[in-house]
Amino acid sequence: MNFGAKRANPATLIPHVYQLLLTKRYLTSKIMPLLAALAVALCTAMVIVVWSVMGGFLVMLINSGRTLAGDVSISWPITGFAYYEDLIKRLEADPEVAAAAPMIETYGLIGLPDGRTETVQIKGIDGPSFSKVTSYDEILYWRPIDKPNEKDTTRQDLRLGKHDLWKQLFDGGKRLVRTEVSKVDGKAVERPAVVPGISVSGFNFREPWGFYPGLPYIRTTEGDKKPVDMFMLPVDGTVTLNVLPMDSKGRAIEMVARTFPVANEFHSGLYEIDHKTVFVQLKALQDMLKMNRAAKIDTSGGGVKLSKNPNEEAFLPPTIVSEDPARVTNVLVRSKRDSFDMADAERLAERVSKIYGEFAAAHAGKVPESTSIRILTWVDQNRTMITAVKKETALVLFIFCFVSLTAVFLVLAIFWAMVSEKTRDIGVLRAVGASRSGVAGLWLLYGLAIGIVGAAFGFALAYVVVTNINEIHEWMGRLGERLSALTGTQINLFIWDPRVYYFTKIPSDLDPTHVIIVLCGGLLASCLGALWPAARAARMNPVQALRFE
Amino acid sequence: MLQATNLRKTYLLGRTKVPVLRGVDLSIQEGESIAVLGASGSGKSTLLHLLGGLDSVDKVGADVAAPSIMFRGQDLTKISTGKLDEYRRRRVGFVFQFYHLLPELTVLQNVTLAAMTALGAFEYFRTRSAVRAHARELLERIGLSHRITHRPAELSGGERQRVAIARALINKPDLLLADEPTGNLDRVTGASILDLFTSLHKAGQSMVIVTHDETTAARSDRIVHLVDGRVQAG
Ligand SMILES: Nc1ncnc2c1ncn2[C@@H]1O[C@H](COP(=O)(O)OP(=O)(O)OP(=O)(O)O)[C@@H](O)[C@H]1O
Ligand SMILES: [Mg+2]
Repeated sequence: MNFGAKRANPATLIPHVYQLLLTKRYLTSKIMPLLAALAVALCTAMVIVVWSVMGGFLVMLINSGRTLAGDVSISWPITGFAYYEDLIKRLEADPEVAAAAPMIETYGLIGLPDGRTETVQIKGIDGPSFSKVTSYDEILYWRPIDKPNEKDTTRQDLRLGKHDLWKQLFDGGKRLVRTEVSKVDGKAVERPAVVPGISVSGFNFREPWGFYPGLPYIRTTEGDKKPVDMFMLPVDGTVTLNVLPMDSKGRAIEMVARTFPVANEFHSGLYEIDHKTVFVQLKALQDMLKMNRAAKIDTSGGGVKLSKNPNEEAFLPPTIVSEDPARVTNVLVRSKRDSFDMADAERLAERVSKIYGEFAAAHAGKVPESTSIRILTWVDQNRTMITAVKKETALVLFIFCFVSLTAVFLVLAIFWAMVSEKTRDIGVLRAVGASRSGVAGLWLLYGLAIGIVGAAFGFALAYVVVTNINEIHEWMGRLGERLSALTGTQINLFIWDPRVYYFTKIPSDLDPTHVIIVLCGGLLASCLGALWPAARAARMNPVQALRFE
Repeated sequence: MLQATNLRKTYLLGRTKVPVLRGVDLSIQEGESIAVLGASGSGKSTLLHLLGGLDSVDKVGADVAAPSIMFRGQDLTKISTGKLDEYRRRRVGFVFQFYHLLPELTVLQNVTLAAMTALGAFEYFRTRSAVRAHARELLERIGLSHRITHRPAELSGGERQRVAIARALINKPDLLLADEPTGNLDRVTGASILDLFTSLHKAGQSMVIVTHDETTAARSDRIVHLVDGRVQAG
């Protein structure tokens, strides 16, 4: 039996015109459901902001981690491996490799001018080549700054004046040397120097605006504070490094101490690195660790040749048996591709592995086997940190999504009330021929519309917040200061205190895929909330609905 | 056109069964106008809802003759709910005592509502101008063409009922079912609404009008009395 024109496809998902029309009318004439839309908007905005900030934080961490590690690292810790120049030459011949650089990684003690001693990670680097595989140049802190820091409205950043000093420090930092005027002959000499992280010395106190003013005093060894004009390690400070050299068989020799001038300080943005790492000139560290090039001499003969005739007594030159080549613990490799892709890093690691294999074959027996050498990508090296932040992000997101479920219940409650209010209209719709599914579809469509409105506003809100997060944060901070002054109690509204988090700016990364996922989540939540009321509307008996007062 | 036989409808009040219709037989001829009279609570509305496919008859045991509503050879009590929706959409038009217009929609939208449910989105947009022209023509006929963009709240009771009649007619139904269409109106307004029904009947519209007003009933071809859940000849 067919009562009229057939519909092309009864199960069509295209809404009926009456559903669209009523949805539109309800949207523009009802206030309560807009509250549901607002809830959806706030929840989506909240999740997007959280995800963006956490995502930005992760990107920043990865970036910083990668800044000082290169893309792939070949390492043979403590004793190091020889012929690294040859390895570097082989690596740099590869079309995928942009550059490779040697490095020594060790632990040691640093003695600071105020008598403090700290354990630090010491990295011996050759400035120019290290700069080619990392962003070393970019993280040197003391350098000329022409444009003031965005937040630095009062121009208190030291680096804004005295250009010559900063230029000189920057140059010294790049090569890890400090030029000093010899007291003996008045000539300028370059001494090998160190570049500690900005937080190693404890003399740099970070302003909330992201820069370090000079310290007006230093603590003396006796424990009291000695006022100074402005104390800065790179200007007149020296530090002492203590390291424990090993011979090539891994036996500890005697502790070696050496005092270095400070050439500059670096600021990577990662507190873990900035307060625990000291760069030192590679050559100097090789010397200290006895990893430098040395002649192996035959100690059986040689020395002083004795003769009955004192005139014939002479120092015999020691017989040089062989040469012990210089060693390093790491060779860092940078890819030509400047991508964040983990797969790219893996591919590069494979190439490097192959090259090392050839290298090991060429120096068989003299360098670590290609099967036991450690070749790690930047992902591997930062895995704990990356996974930790990822887990944290996932956890926070989970919590926030859970909180956002309230939006579902709000939509449900409001729609439930609305379906009750519209009972008679539902009866009318059924009387003029709307099917049960048509009535359900109307409410679902309305839920979707609320979701779309909510998600759109949520996105707009999130966009505004994320793009202005630093301004908002600063405003909150100022508000906190004003409130503190008013109430006399300490109210700190700087959630992201750069003294803690160490980034000058709150990082954020508005990832389109994340945004789309969250917005779809918002729509889904809204539809989910509308589902039950829609089912109730569909189940209504039309006659009873029409009798409803 | 329509033969209803042995219509039974029982409501449950708590545990007690309240039989409202106890075997109603009614046949409607093409172009006929029938008035259903009966005391309040006699089941007039219930009967109308059954005829309009809005409600379902009782399920009966094998010992009683099964109720049936034959409409052009098809039994409404046996067809699927989808077909029943289709029947309401295209074959009948309801007019209620309390107008039951949707308050959010304009007069024109209320009138075209039934057409919107009858047509898919594409069909509707394809035929929209024709549907609207038809709606305007209906509103013209009932004297409301100047109220097209108004909301029901801005209309008087009589005007609302006219809109409701136009809505019922938009799909050119075979059968118009009116449940006390003048019950909520004053005498003069009610009379004008009845005039409208009379003119529709003259134009060939089959209709069933529920009322408890004898003068209203007198205008129709045939009067049916509902007493004790049955049709009393008269
Ligand atoms: N859902 C229901 N549950 C129980 N009883 C019901 C229900 N709907 C209707 N009734 C009863 O069925 C009987 C018939 O109702 P109906 O509305 O058909 O009467 P009516 O003749 O239209 O009355 P009126 O002239 O007042 O409109 C009434 O006694 C009513 O109380
Ligand atoms: Mg009634």
